Amino acid sequence: MKLKQTTAVLRKEWWHITRDRRTALLVTLSPVLFLVVMAYSFSVEIKRVDIAVVDLDGSSASRDLVGKLEGSGDLHVCCRTDSYQEAEEWLVDGSAKAILVFPPDFSRNIAAARTPSLQVIVDGTDPSTANHAIDHIMSRAEAFGIEAAASTAGRDAPDEAALPIDLRVRTLYNPSLRYVIGVVPAMIAVVLAMPALAASLAITREKEWGTLETLICTPIGRVDLFTGKLIPYVVSGLISVVLCAIVAIAWFRVPFRGSFPLYMGLSALYLYAALSLALVISVLVSSQQAAMLVSLLVFLFPGFFLSGILIPLSAMGELRYEALIFPTSHYVLINRGLFLKGVGIDVLWPWAVVLVLFGTAMLALSMVLFKKRLK
Amino acid sequence: MLNRIWTLARKDLTQFARDRALALFIIFGPMLELVLVAQATSAGIAHLPTAVLDQDRTTESRALVTALRNTETFEMTSPPETADDIADAMDRDAIMVGIVIPDGFGADLTDPNTPQPQVQILVDGSEPAAADTAIRTAQALVASYGAAAVASSTVAGAEAFPQVMDARLRVRFNEELKESNYTVPSEMGFMLAAITVMVAALGIARERELGTLEQLTVTPLRSTELVIGKAIPAIVISYVVFLMMLGVSLVVFHVPMRGSWPLLLAVAAFYLFVELGWGIMASAVSATQLQALLLVFVFIMVEIVFSGYAFPVENMPPALQVVSNLFPIKHWLIIFRSILLKGAGPSVFWRELVALAILGVGVMGAAVLVLRRNRLG
Repeated sequence: MKLKQTTAVLRKEWWHITRDRRTALLVTLSPVLFLVVMAYSFSVEIKRVDIAVVDLDGSSASRDLVGKLEGSGDLHVCCRTDSYQEAEEWLVDGSAKAILVFPPDFSRNIAAARTPSLQVIVDGTDPSTANHAIDHIMSRAEAFGIEAAASTAGRDAPDEAALPIDLRVRTLYNPSLRYVIGVVPAMIAVVLAMPALAASLAITREKEWGTLETLICTPIGRVDLFTGKLIPYVVSGLISVVLCAIVAIAWFRVPFRGSFPLYMGLSALYLYAALSLALVISVLVSSQQAAMLVSLLVFLFPGFFLSGILIPLSAMGELRYEALIFPTSHYVLINRGLFLKGVGIDVLWPWAVVLVLFGTAMLALSMVLFKKRLK
Repeated sequence: MLNRIWTLARKDLTQFARDRALALFIIFGPMLELVLVAQATSAGIAHLPTAVLDQDRTTESRALVTALRNTETFEMTSPPETADDIADAMDRDAIMVGIVIPDGFGADLTDPNTPQPQVQILVDGSEPAAADTAIRTAQALVASYGAAAVASSTVAGAEAFPQVMDARLRVRFNEELKESNYTVPSEMGFMLAAITVMVAALGIARERELGTLEQLTVTPLRSTELVIGKAIPAIVISYVVFLMMLGVSLVVFHVPMRGSWPLLLAVAAFYLFVELGWGIMASAVSATQLQALLLVFVFIMVEIVFSGYAFPVENMPPALQVVSNLFPIKHWLIIFRSILLKGAGPSVFWRELVALAILGVGVMGAAVLVLRRNRLG
């Protein structure tokens, strides 16, 4: 490796990123912008589910229960009707996610100290919304039943706190369990796929433009070429890392409990691993079009779905080993460790080792493949 | 005019078919990726690694642990020695949940004269969705376990819990509340979007970068014809990908198909048309393929947000809800799920269909205008 040659390639590649303002902005700023949009939309704390009420009883008891359901803020009564058919139509077209049917004898049963009945019909299309609706309707209806039975019998309702077991919940690292705090550090790992995408075009572009042949005639060696191609993207990636961290800490108030120099070091390792993988893609395919498609399937979807952001890796069963192939999965763990858990290198070293090994293996692979292509 | 469009479309399809590796990759890549991603996410949040510190070691405490394990939300790891081990293992990401059952739990539970026994649960808040599930499952289970334990130990207890409300639950459209019936159509939606937008976006950006767009300007080919000619190969490719992914969803993941096939195949064209429009738009405003790629990447990520995958769009801030209407995936998933799960017809989703049509015409029209203005730019 000769310093002069490496710098020449490096300068040229850096120029590719910066010469055009649009590209420069897209590479460095879009991860940050994206982090903001992502964090906002993924951090919805309150979930309000629209329900329809078919009140065939029309008594003060049924109105009382509906009022209690709505008062909690978890459910919203969007429409009321006397017609069961109409409510079913709302369920089909999605304007209501659940229907609550009060039979005509609802209040009579309460007054006569019989068990009142209710019908709950839920749209199961989105299971998490459906479960939310089921949990809230069922528990409120139960509480209402206890209260109604007690007042009919002329007694005070039993104290709700008198559960047979006292379950103490302690949430570590994120005591108020705010979604944004958990999501933002992990999301930084996904948005940093941006420099890797750009890097996947680095060699392919030379092929498509025909400038690779010229490059081969120069005294620039393989190692110089790849190092020179890699460094500018690592640098632009590190700029994005700093910007993302500032946004996370200052804007979203995500705590940062680890060491910042360690964070920068590990981020550099992640970029090294991801960008080396991008260079392999770049060497393998022959057109920029192909490079983009491959990098989309390699960086975007696995980064998003297999990195443990939405579903923890441990819940994936056997597939978690496949998931750990992608460098993003490790970087998600590193980010959560440094932002939220405040752990140090003594805990994070296995991920650091994996990233170094992965990056080096990929860089070596890209050089080996490149040699064959030259002939 | 038709002749000119056909020539361009044929040229692009030939180019596509010549690069055999790329062609195979475009057609099979997304399908395999769908299998991988859907497999990984199909179970939802379950089997969270859990360390149980049972200091009581009675029949009651062991029964509680068994009941927790039976929820399938928790998967017990090797038991820790002390409470500090739990925090330590959580730091190392070895566990996500820790449960401490203190000494005297069983005795306190069965004896009505002692205070209620305590159970402590520690959850890893850095993964909020998983933490939330763990807490809710544990709360529900501990409450029902406690009620059952008290009821079985005392006759008076049994009377304290009569049935007070007979709420009959019926779940429709996805009767077993299968997570994959919801996630697989979403995942299919944006993978399809990614391929369609990408194929469309690269068409024009490539011609511009290689300088052949300049040659096209001196031919009688007009901007509209250029857009249509570029759109045809992309729509053919994305339609093939759509059918293959649909096959995987129905056969491998058993997503039900309750609606009409001709209807589904027809409305899919609407969706693909809009995605194409955005792709052509991205390539019309980009000077290089690199820019087009980065723009497409941003676009796809925003589409994932508005697909309602993690959080329903209805619960997003109002400004984001307005913006979400510009992204075809939001409308498409409503239509797609209505046909698949509800067996619904256009009377249910005509609004979404109209929205897609307007978006398609609007975006395509804008792309033609942009191209006309800076064709040589």
